[in-house]
Amino acid sequence: MEAVLEYWPVLIQGLWVTVWVSSCIILGAALGAIMLGVLRVSRTGVIRVLSMVFIECIRGPSALVLLFWVFYALPLLPGMPQLSPLAAAILVLALDGAVYGAEIVRAGIEAVNRGQADACHALGLSRFQSFTKVVLPQALSQIVPAFGSLARGMIKWTSIVSFIGVQDILYVANNVRAQTFETTIVFCLLAVLYWILTVLCGLVFRELEQVLPLNRALRAARAPSAYAPAGAAQ
Amino acid sequence: MTWDWSYAVEIVPNLMVGVWYTILVTLASSAIALIGGLLLAILEIASTRLGRTFVRFWLELARGVPILILLYFTFYVLPQLGITIPAIPIGIGVLGVVYAAYCSEVYRGSLITIPTELRDACVALNLSQYVTWQRVLVPLMIKRAVPALLNYVLGLFRETAMLFAIGVPVLMGEAQVAGNESFRFLEPFTLAGIIYMAMNLPFLYLLSRYKDKHA
Repeated sequence: MEAVLEYWPVLIQGLWVTVWVSSCIILGAALGAIMLGVLRVSRTGVIRVLSMVFIECIRGPSALVLLFWVFYALPLLPGMPQLSPLAAAILVLALDGAVYGAEIVRAGIEAVNRGQADACHALGLSRFQSFTKVVLPQALSQIVPAFGSLARGMIKWTSIVSFIGVQDILYVANNVRAQTFETTIVFCLLAVLYWILTVLCGLVFRELEQVLPLNRALRAARAPSAYAPAGAAQ
Repeated sequence: MTWDWSYAVEIVPNLMVGVWYTILVTLASSAIALIGGLLLAILEIASTRLGRTFVRFWLELARGVPILILLYFTFYVLPQLGITIPAIPIGIGVLGVVYAAYCSEVYRGSLITIPTELRDACVALNLSQYVTWQRVLVPLMIKRAVPALLNYVLGLFRETAMLFAIGVPVLMGEAQVAGNESFRFLEPFTLAGIIYMAMNLPFLYLLSRYKDKHA
């Protein structure tokens, strides 16, 4: 145990890389998911079909296959850049997350009552305004909890980035294992660290749910009746 | 470097071996996941606090720890304890156990949607516990859970690529071996990606057919 803990500076560094990659891909996936989700419910049939094909193309081969392809095969095509390991990892995992998130966003948007969109139309709001000001804030209360469990999964996805040489916690831990031969301890430590990270991510998303517009509005609507004198309610 | 057709054709037989192993692993570990998940779900619902804690622990392990870590753990730690198992059973076992935890959630969720009157009716008909589960509850649970389970089997199929890390010759592993031997990565990885994508199609077909029938 002590032999492993002697390596704590590198382990912390590896953990930092994992946290950094996870936050980048979760943020990137959130943005991408909203954009793809909107395209997915577009009124134009062509856009809808194209976005569906795109989603299936990214989702079809797993993240690992895509990562290897982008890192090893893509630079061999003429005119394509050689991405650094970190950039390739973030790009691929964020895309994959966006694709899975798009279905969540689509379901969230479809769950908002149709009357809301009609009312916006009647009030003369533009389609963009009615989406950003009315539909999306309501859809978020459906989207965020589901996206939270996706984000928990995405932290686990980051374990594959060590294959292309990103020096994340798994990469570092494998080196430590090779030097100390403390296989059991190293992997137990890894499992605990990943578990803590996913639990922390879950907590962050639970906090995020509290500040969502619709949830806040619901709380505000409930609050006065809770504090009103008993006589006033009757 | 440009696309070399003759090389691409040359490696296809190797990749097909990978396809075969991918199918084998997917079938075997989804069998473990589907049956194990059902058993875990029944254990959680029908048994004591001990069983429930056990299932919760399993679920938390599957949710919080990446499959890759669990694979490495079983692959490197078991030999130290004097148990040597080849890579393929380890891969099948780990994938199966992790997805069994996910599937148990699905089964449990579908059990909740079964009305309680049905269980009352079973009590009124004086059916034994065993018959109640075997003839009434389990068939209904499975029927309601099929689309979600199919989604998890699809997820499991995609995760099989991960097994190349411990040396199982799945499609991904074969593509990497082919690439390393000839230092040409474009053809093997592109072909592997396309084959993986094509192997998704049966799942998507099944899912869409199920949706048409029941939605």
